[in-house]
Amino acid sequence: MSAPPRAGDQIPELRRVVTREDVKAYADAGGDQNPLHQDDAFARRVGFPGILAHGMFTMGHLAACVVAWAGDPAAVIRMTASFRAPVFMGEELVAGGRVRSVDEAAGTATLETWVTVERDGQTEYPIRRGEAVIRRR
Amino acid sequence: MTPICPTRLGSLGPMNPGAEGTTYPEVTFVVDPARVAAFRKVFDQEAGVPPTFLTAAEFAALPAVLADPNLALDFSRVLHGSQEYDYRRPLREGESLRVAARIGSIRQKGGNGFMTVVMEIFGQDGELAATATNVMIERGLE
Repeated sequence: MSAPPRAGDQIPELRRVVTREDVKAYADAGGDQNPLHQDDAFARRVGFPGILAHGMFTMGHLAACVVAWAGDPAAVIRMTASFRAPVFMGEELVAGGRVRSVDEAAGTATLETWVTVERDGQTEYPIRRGEAVIRRR
Repeated sequence: MTPICPTRLGSLGPMNPGAEGTTYPEVTFVVDPARVAAFRKVFDQEAGVPPTFLTAAEFAALPAVLADPNLALDFSRVLHGSQEYDYRRPLREGESLRVAARIGSIRQKGGNGFMTVVMEIFGQDGELAATATNVMIERGLE
């Protein structure tokens, strides 16, 4: 971030389309080899139309959005996410956030964060009301 | 990395609430630079250890939790409910960490089971580096 953050500031959105190849690369790097994220037949057996992205794939994308704004991954001292909706292949994740408060004494800024997808003309929130705390110095 | 075996047939009933508070033997997790680089590549990151890379440390300690017969978890029905990461300090590539897992809580609500797993991640100096808190949802049958 170039200027000091102020409550209410929006951070720049970060978009990416989710592909099967990306989700497989994530499974290998992150270690979650659950077939729900790789095997369409398995996903259908447990009630989904096809494989879904890991919640941690979506949170990792959100982290990339926060890091792009913070300027350094080491500045992120807290991140939370609740996974509220599945994400399917070919969908576009849109990560965003807004500065909720700035603590000058502690040198931290607290963001409310989210990730949306557009599905069937509706905005879904795979992540809603996440929190990120950034150390500014 | 030990792959977990999510299709293992677990209990057909709910998780055992008596498993709340269980602690598991610490496991070692090395912040392997090649793996960090692979993780960065997935998220198009240039440098450093991405904030959510701690998930890899969690997956090092998770097999012992998932295989605990006293817990009676059926991982084939598990979805990720929520996740929290708190960092005391950044992770360093190449360092060796110790991961201590415990079951924070087990609740049943609306036919689904909710399990909170808390993992404390310590550096070689014995100081706490980070805490990861994971809520898993075991979907009810039907």
